[in-house]
Amino acid sequence: MASNASPVPGFTFIQELGGIKEYRLNSNRIRVLLVEDNSVPVAGCMVTYHVGSKNEATGYTGATHLLEHIMFKGSERFNKELGTSMDSLMESKGAIINATTWFDRTNYYEVVPRDVLPLAIEVEADRMRTAYITEEGRAAEMPIVRNEFERGENLPMEALEKEVWAAAFTAHPYHHSTIGWRSDIEGVSIERLQQFYNDFYWPDNATVTIAGSFDEKQTLAKIKKEFGRHPAKATPYPALYTTEPVQQGERRVRVERAGVNMVCLAHKIPEATHVDVPALMLLGSILFEDKTSRLYKAFIDTALATDVSTYCWQFQDPSIFETFVTLTPKTTHEKAETVLRKEYQKIIESGVTAPELARAKQAARASLAARQDGPYALLSSLNEEIATGDWTRFVTLSDTLAAVTRADIQRVAKLYFTSKTSTVGWFVHTLS
Amino acid sequence: MNPITQQITEVELKDGTRIFIAPTGAKNIVTIEGSVRGGWSMLARSKAEAALIAAELLDSGTSTKSKDGIHEALGKRGASLSFKDGADRTFFSGSCFPEDLLFLLSLISECLADAIIPAPDVISAKTRALGDLEESATDTRTQAAGALSRLLYDKTHVNYMETTKNRIQNLTAIARADVVSFRKSLSREGLVVAIVGDLETSKARTAAEKAFKTLPKGVGISLEERIHQGTYIVSETLVPINDKANIDTYFGTTIPFTYDSPEYLPFVTLSSMLGGRGLSSGHLMRTIRERDGYTYGIYAQQVGFLEKTQGAFRIWATFSPATFTEAVAATKKEITVFLKKGMTEDALSLKKDEMIGNYLIGLSTTRGLAGMLHTIGVEGKPLSYIDAYPSLIRAITLSEVQNLSPLLAPENLSLAASGTFPKQ
Repeated sequence: MASNASPVPGFTFIQELGGIKEYRLNSNRIRVLLVEDNSVPVAGCMVTYHVGSKNEATGYTGATHLLEHIMFKGSERFNKELGTSMDSLMESKGAIINATTWFDRTNYYEVVPRDVLPLAIEVEADRMRTAYITEEGRAAEMPIVRNEFERGENLPMEALEKEVWAAAFTAHPYHHSTIGWRSDIEGVSIERLQQFYNDFYWPDNATVTIAGSFDEKQTLAKIKKEFGRHPAKATPYPALYTTEPVQQGERRVRVERAGVNMVCLAHKIPEATHVDVPALMLLGSILFEDKTSRLYKAFIDTALATDVSTYCWQFQDPSIFETFVTLTPKTTHEKAETVLRKEYQKIIESGVTAPELARAKQAARASLAARQDGPYALLSSLNEEIATGDWTRFVTLSDTLAAVTRADIQRVAKLYFTSKTSTVGWFVHTLS
Repeated sequence: MNPITQQITEVELKDGTRIFIAPTGAKNIVTIEGSVRGGWSMLARSKAEAALIAAELLDSGTSTKSKDGIHEALGKRGASLSFKDGADRTFFSGSCFPEDLLFLLSLISECLADAIIPAPDVISAKTRALGDLEESATDTRTQAAGALSRLLYDKTHVNYMETTKNRIQNLTAIARADVVSFRKSLSREGLVVAIVGDLETSKARTAAEKAFKTLPKGVGISLEERIHQGTYIVSETLVPINDKANIDTYFGTTIPFTYDSPEYLPFVTLSSMLGGRGLSSGHLMRTIRERDGYTYGIYAQQVGFLEKTQGAFRIWATFSPATFTEAVAATKKEITVFLKKGMTEDALSLKKDEMIGNYLIGLSTTRGLAGMLHTIGVEGKPLSYIDAYPSLIRAITLSEVQNLSPLLAPENLSLAASGTFPKQ
């Protein structure tokens, strides 16, 4: 595409797909996505950094997330000393301001009344390179993050999930959860966090997304003025070259403590952009989406379980497909695991029916429509696609899902639901 | 800005039922939020769980549709529908593609009027519900919230939460006849429906009229005023649960007015000044979290303000076991500091801006707008309230807020906490 397609000089227009326009700022290569919708006087600004907990190692697990917290402590132009702290400036306008961290990415966002959007862009641009990453900030934020960790530990499913991922991944950094190990949260040094910031928080490692009600030309000009102050990184980004070795046998973990009785069955699946993922997504829906789904009938209708959930995770690197089953009081772990495996086996052996696939596709269609219900939903969904390395999935997924056949579903079930690549987790409620 | 109500139509079908229809810029999604009169407060305490089981089974078959038929019809259309029990109302919530609106509204109506509550499903639903209750026995947040309600309310009050043990006993004794009897009490009485999203008003109106005209007329359930009885005694209770890394903690007190009171919006504002959710929007987040690092989150909430009901104020926080005692003391101290020094004209002005901006953002999704319209319907407010809210907030004065501050004094707050407590 020609660079003169941009309404503001200095940007290269890359493409437009599904109402989303992609630009790149020539001076520092920051990517910009614009999704205009003037039906409500609300806008959202989000910066997605291509850094997550997979960029951590032992000793500083949880660093990406701890750094995300410290990023709210102030920056050169927006800080308490000047009376311009970002949270008070934004929140006093009614803005929703927050950030999240996951394996592959960290995102910072503001959902604001339309006229506050320029301020949101200023805030995000300023903290990209001038955030106060200080020992004072680390010391203040560490116990807050530790309490967030403790909250998660109170939840049986979160505790079990950490153990399942840790067993499923022995080499790849998806091994540790994004919140990190408690001792690393407590012990990571400010120097390590500063290095992390300086390694990854650069414009050419970020995507700015603006959604909702805004003027395209004014907004691009504002982005150029604010983010254009920063140069691209002069040195290479740290390479992540660890791949998970092929799993050669079933792995099992147990968590024994007060909580609930729960079974998790996980299998290795490929990265989000792999051609098999749409079929795996629909397989997940056929297993558990609504009251017609197979695991609802096998577990909920029969009262073997109080709850079932399936997750076809879509990350930048190969991950896992998980099913969690929360047991009713008289159901044993052995029974639940047997029933779950039997349901998987039925699909491997006999495939799925045409009405099942049709329902799964309709559910996916509804889910994709809900991703655009307001600026926050859009930003949040687009963020995950940006994190996979291909934001256009946000638009193309509907077509790839529509093209999935019953044969595809059976093939991926056979290919990925194998004992050798599985990890089984039991949460065993104890009265201790 | 154009009034929000400009695009919204309110329709009264019969007997004061209220239907709100709001076309928005959303594409390919229609969201429905609604409710009818009828909830567990209308049953004897020992039978209250019948409302829970009924809500669970309203979509499990009618005299003309099988359970599988209903679920497959929803699935075929990518539509969702769920029912939930409440104290005074049974709620429904759903979404669909625009072309399926009549189908979904008709199904809601049919389920409310004609659900057959199959016997095998009652057994299954009871087993699952008992499992949920067993699970909740080790859930620190649920246990702390329940314990606080028992400190604040007498046993007859609608907001008094039974212990998990009592609920298990009551649920075990529920028979299908109890569930069927409750279901039969549901009618068009108190019907409020908000339909929001990718729709044409005239088509949605026709669909709503057609769907809900078959709902039977109710018997005229009247709610009595629920005011706090007797003398409220400030007290504390700890609910120990093994193996927990975090302590869920509630501070709370009763509030002597309802949402109809002129004091209510100043009270909401005061509550938000003390315990707003953002990093800087509440005094407790600024101090107990950001300054002292005692918690990931500490938030003030208004709870239990049902129709004609005096509710409560509570603060929810999570604390580490190692610092629980000092965190509780620090929280009480900061409440005192706030009540003495935190209520200023500047702070109130900022809070008003925040509440108004946040309100408008909340209406930017179909779910947010539908939820607001449903609340307006349930609370008996005029549709114009949706536009009037910002000016009502703007009109709140500092003295109105200050006059309410004695209600939140630490010496009036009870405490309930659950987790693994450090040995003394």
